[in-house]
Parts: sequence; C-alpha cells; structure tokens
Amino acid sequence: MSSTAPALRTRVPRLAEVALERARLTVVPKRKRRHSSPVPFLVVVSMFAVGGIVGLLLFNTSMQQASFAATDLQRQADALQAKQQTLQMDLDRLRDPQAIALKAQRMGMVLPSSPAVLDLGTGKVLGDPVPATRLDPLRLLAPPPAKPALLDPQAHVTVVHPPENSSGNTARGSHDSAGGPGRNDHTGHTNNTSHTQPTH
Amino acid sequence: MPTTSPRGRSGRPTTRRNRRGRRTAAAARARRSLRGSAPLRLRVGFVFIALVLSFFGARLVQLQAVEPGKYATLAASTGGTVTVELPADRGPILDRNGRPLAESVAGRMVVADPLQTRNRAPELARFLAKRLHVDYFSTLHALDQKNSRFAYVARRVPADRAVSVVNAATDAGFKGLATRNDPVRSYPDHDVAANMVGFMGTDGPLAGLELSFNHQLEGRDGSETYEVGAGNRIPLGHSTVTPAHNGTALHTTIDEDLQWYTQRVLRQTVLASGGQSGFAVVMDTHSGELLSLADYPTYDASNPQASPRRDRNALSLTSPYEPGSVEKVLTLSGLIDAGKVTDRTRLLVPGQLQSGDRVIHDWFPHGTLRMTLAGVIAQSSNIGTAKSSRLFGHGQLRKYLTGFGLGQRTNIGLAGETAGLLPSQADWNGMTQDRIAFGQSVSVNGVQMAAAINTVANGGVRVSPSLIQGRATTNAGDVVGTDVATRHRVVSKNAAHQMTQMMERVVDPNVGVAPAAQVPGYVVAGKTGTAQRVGATCGCYNGQFTVSFAGFAPADNPRFTVYVVVQRPTNGGGGGSVAGPAFSKIMSFALRRYGVAPTGAKSSHLPTTW
Repeated sequence: MSSTAPALRTRVPRLAEVALERARLTVVPKRKRRHSSPVPFLVVVSMFAVGGIVGLLLFNTSMQQASFAATDLQRQADALQAKQQTLQMDLDRLRDPQAIALKAQRMGMVLPSSPAVLDLGTGKVLGDPVPATRLDPLRLLAPPPAKPALLDPQAHVTVVHPPENSSGNTARGSHDSAGGPGRNDHTGHTNNTSHTQPTH
Repeated sequence: MPTTSPRGRSGRPTTRRNRRGRRTAAAARARRSLRGSAPLRLRVGFVFIALVLSFFGARLVQLQAVEPGKYATLAASTGGTVTVELPADRGPILDRNGRPLAESVAGRMVVADPLQTRNRAPELARFLAKRLHVDYFSTLHALDQKNSRFAYVARRVPADRAVSVVNAATDAGFKGLATRNDPVRSYPDHDVAANMVGFMGTDGPLAGLELSFNHQLEGRDGSETYEVGAGNRIPLGHSTVTPAHNGTALHTTIDEDLQWYTQRVLRQTVLASGGQSGFAVVMDTHSGELLSLADYPTYDASNPQASPRRDRNALSLTSPYEPGSVEKVLTLSGLIDAGKVTDRTRLLVPGQLQSGDRVIHDWFPHGTLRMTLAGVIAQSSNIGTAKSSRLFGHGQLRKYLTGFGLGQRTNIGLAGETAGLLPSQADWNGMTQDRIAFGQSVSVNGVQMAAAINTVANGGVRVSPSLIQGRATTNAGDVVGTDVATRHRVVSKNAAHQMTQMMERVVDPNVGVAPAAQVPGYVVAGKTGTAQRVGATCGCYNGQFTVSFAGFAPADNPRFTVYVVVQRPTNGGGGGSVAGPAFSKIMSFALRRYGVAPTGAKSSHLPTTW
C-alpha cells in the first residue's frame, strides 16, 4: 500500500496536496483493520454468553436447591414447634394442681390445718403449730354422677307394725316431710303475714 | 470467492494493482447485490421492528384492556400459585404467676376421602380408634360413606399427634387421610376457674373471659400467596405476604393454686351441707385483686358439653341474692361513721320490734336483752340493728350503701353481671330501711358484697375489685383492670377500726356465733349471714336460706378478705356452721401460701352485754 503513495504524488498536482495528505493519513490503516479476523471477538463474546447462561443456570439450580432446603427446614420447624407445644400441654396437664394433689394424697400427704411461721431472726414460732391430721381430708374428686332411676330403683320398704306399740322405732317414713332440724320454729312466710323473718 | 476466480480462469498473473482493483470492485458489487443499499436495509429493519412491536402492542391491549383478569384467574386456577392462611395464635389467659388457665396449641383436623377409604374402612377405623382415641363406630361410619369425598375423622388434635398418626397410616398402606389446620384451645386445669375463663365453641368463644375479651385474644389471621412448582416454592416467584397478628395474652389476678383449693373446699362445703350452689371470693385487701372467684357447680372447660348449661355460668356475678346479716357490717359502719353510735353504745334489745305493719324477730327467741353494739354484731341481732339504724337521717343509709358499691356493677370484665337491687330513694320508707339494715329487701352479687366488706378491712376505703392485671379492653369497649381501679373513702378509719373490733367478737367461742370460722394463731374478723331466699315463683321467702360468712385476717393488718356463700343448704346449718369452716380453711391456705405471719395481736375484748 505504501508503494502507491509516491506514484500518486507524481501525477496529482500540488494543489490537491492537503486533501491528499489527509487521505494518506486516515483511509489506509482503517481499511486494513476492518478486515482483521472476527474470530477472537466471537470467541470472547460467545464465552461471555455461554458463561453467563451456564452461570445463570448454576445460580438458578442453587436457588432451587436452597428452596428445597428451605421448604424442608420450614416443615421441620413446624413439626418441632408442634411437638414443643404438645409437650408444653402435657407439662401443663402434669402441673394441674388437681393432678398434684391427687398424687400427694395417694402418697399419704395431708394439708396442714393451721399455718405456723418460724421467725429465723428470733428463732420463735409464730402461730399455733398443730400437727396435720388425716381427719377431715380435702375431698378432691367430684361425686360420681347420679345413676338413672332405672339402674337405681327406690328401695322397697314395707313397714310392719309390731303388735305391741314400741315407741319411736317405726316412724321412719313419716319424718321425711319435716324440714331440717332447727328450722321448724320459723313459720311459713308469705307476703301478707306480719313476720319479717330472722336472719343471723 | 469472487476475488479468486478471475485468476484461476485466466491462468496468467496480472499486475498486482489491476488484480486488486478488480477484486475490490467485484466484492463491493457482490455485497451490494446481496444486502441492498444502506437506506433500504434500514427501512426494511425499521418496518420489521415496527411489525413486531405492533404485535406486542396489540397483545398488550388485548390482555390489559379487552379481557383483563381472565388470564390471572386462569393462571391461579391451574395451580401455579398457592394461597395459604397464616393462622394467628389465640392469646393465652394467664393467672397472676403467668401459668396458663387457657392456651392455644397448633392443631390439626384429620379428614378422610371416603372414596379412597371405603375398601379398607373397618381396618382403618380400628387403626384410628386406637391411635387417635376416637369412637370406632362413628369413625367407621365416616370412612364408609357412599358418594362422598369428605369426612371428618377427628377435630382439634394437637398437630404433632395428628401428623404422626396420618404418617403412620400412610406408611401402613392406608390411603385417603389428610390433615388440615384446626387450632386447639387447651384448658390444662379443666374446671379450675372455668366459670370465669369460659370456653370456646367450634367457631368462637361462648362464655367468660374468652368471650368478653375476644377482640384482644383472637388476633388477626394473615395470608401468603406464592408460586409453586412441583410442590416447592419458586424462589424468585411472585409472592405476597400479609403477616398474622397473634392475639395478646390476658393476665388475670387469679392465683391458680388458691383458686383450685377454694373450689375444692367450696365443693366439699356445698355437698356436705346439701346445698344447691355456692361461691367463694378471695380478695387482696389493699389492691382489690381477686385472687380467686370460685363457683359451684362448675364444669370442665375442656369438655363443656358434659355439663348442663346452667353450670357454666358465674353465679357469683350473675345471680342476685339477699345478703342477710353480713350487710349489718355496712349499716353499723355507716352509723358509727355518722357519729350516731360507737362500738360500746348500750342498747336495749326487745324480743320483737314493730316495723310498720310487720314485726321483726331475732333468730333466737329472747326477752329484752341489754346488748352493746358489739353484742348486736356478735350475736347477729336483727332487732338491735334495725333499732339502731333508725338513728340515721333521711337518705343517709342509702348514701352509705351506695358508697360501699351496692346497686352498681363492679365491671371486673365479665359480661352478664347483675347490678343487684338497692331500692331507689322514692321506694325507701321506714319499713324498707328497717329490713335493709339487716340485709333484706336489698340484693347484691357476690363480688360486690366482698368488695363492700373489704372496705372495712381496708380502713374504710373502698377499692374497686379487679380480675385483670394491668389494663385490658372488653369487647364492649370498657377499660378494666388494676390500672384503672378506683379508691374512695366510705367511712372513717376510726369507724372501720371499731367495726373490725366488733367483728372480732363474732368468732369468739364464748360470745360469738361463728367460732368455727377462727383461723388458729391469727386474729380474724368476720360476720355470718343466714338470709331467707326469695322463691323464684312465689316472690316471697320460701323457707330456703342463703348462708354466708365474710371476713378478713389478720384483723389488725388485713391481707385478705374471704367471702363464702352457700345457697339452699338442707342440713339446717347457718352461716357460722356451714360457711364458717370453709372460710377458715380458705383463709388459712391463703395466709400460709403468701407467708403472712401471725401479727401476735390479741383479739378484742369489747363488752357485748351490759
């Protein structure tokens, strides 16, 4: 290419020297570079593209793996939490004062009848210490439900009057209608009787 | 190719310059013919791009303007997104030491698809009956249904157990079982404080604190929507989360252990006396906190259906009754405060007292007695009280009773409370006043009366009772709790002191009517009540009684006020013999539990006669 320049210079008049100078400086190297091999560029670009895709794939796969692991762990956490709550519930059931009292009573423990306090400062006992007894134990269980009448029929009582009159023993049925002891002295009270009844 | 062919065809070398010139011209011509001119290429490219973009635009308009929403629902229905409910935990109800009276546990319902379970139904029913403790026959029926794809097997099973049973069933080869979310409300103490705490139905709270503080306890469910693929959440998929807001715990002033003990003593007392019902209140004297509020009959909150409806009520609050002689404490405290009498005032108590067209009697027949005011309390004389109360000025007794809190709700946070009945000033005449003076013609609820007696214990200052620690807002919008407790002076400190001294005489074995209420080692002040009950049908006193005992200890520096009431005892016992021993046991337990040492003070020796 450089060999053509002196030949041109001989033929073209000096007038065009400036334009010629410009042409000589710029056009030639550019054309040469445009025709350099595209292979390295393509290799770089495809490396980027393939690397990107592969990287994206790997990233996506690892995200998926993490998602599986997260789902698994979440499931495990839920199960453990449920287990913890069930155990807590069992614990609360065991701490039920009723359950403790039943166990204690079965072991022969009783509630003290009166509190007494030992003053550590003076070494004196305050209050009236009384030994705990098994008399009058605290009733822990509810009475069993009443049986239906079918299973618990009324006792059949036949009152046999003895030939001689022995006072007091036979009048078993007739006392039932009387009120509780100690209340018979109060007469029935209605709106227009003139009693305002006692209370104490 | 065009650059090499001329040389091959001619077979002779051309000059370097010519060859090159021809070659570039040919190449340019070939390129131009293939690609066309630059403006043409540009134009074609632009047209192509515009075509593609206009397709996009048309599609956009179709999706967004013509049929919006259609594709969203289509996508949702194909199962690409999942919406799960995030259930809020219901807040627990705690006692004063933070122990749960009611708590929520993650729960599951076990459901079946009968189409899949039918062929092995008996086998599966046996498996489930054994592992889930459900009824075999109803389970078999559920699993064996025809033409059904859904059946409940068990509800409100703790999640842990439900899941493990269903997994075990799947491992054993059974098909068609699944679990769904179904929270469990657990009441670990069963009947302890059940009348107050209430219980939950299938869909919501049905009674007690559960009901009246539901807004606070229930919280707000959240939800989460996300995309799934193959059972797993898509990592960068679209998702929206509305977080759940858990319910807030409700802190009560109840002491679980004391409540339990109170309930057991109360049950024993009611049963032993052949009574119909009863209640007991334990109150902290200075703070007004209710340490226990026991009702009998009661029920198991974890199995409320087992008890009749009437047993699930808090009768101590909802059922008004006439307090009887316990009320004399209020009358005479007011009278002392008004300066009309003192604890040593000497009275002549006749055998009967004319009141309008009626006659007032005492519980024991007597002639004219020479009693002091202390004797009137110690022997619980109706005549002595009514006669003294005639010293009150117009409207004075009513003002004192209102000050003690009668006729007004205590508003401790439970719904359905009765205000009791204090006759209005217009209905108030001499006869009414005579009867009200000793506790007839006035009705109260249990907590109201306990708070009134507690006023005397607290040196004449009424502190409003509380069931909630701190503060909480009921569904009705009332703010209740210890933070908003009110105090006001009802009677002077001196009047309260004199009344306390008089009440100490009640448990005196020689001059009082209730020696059984004594707590050995302590000075106890109290008052019995044996009131006639008003029958439900006749509107009159029907021969039944309400027996009660109210008191506080240690009398010289009170810590607790205990009030025990038994309705309709049938063993003939009165306040002193039925409620007195129960008071003694409960008070003794409370004093021991809170480490209250005896003060070493001596009981008063006020003269009761003259």
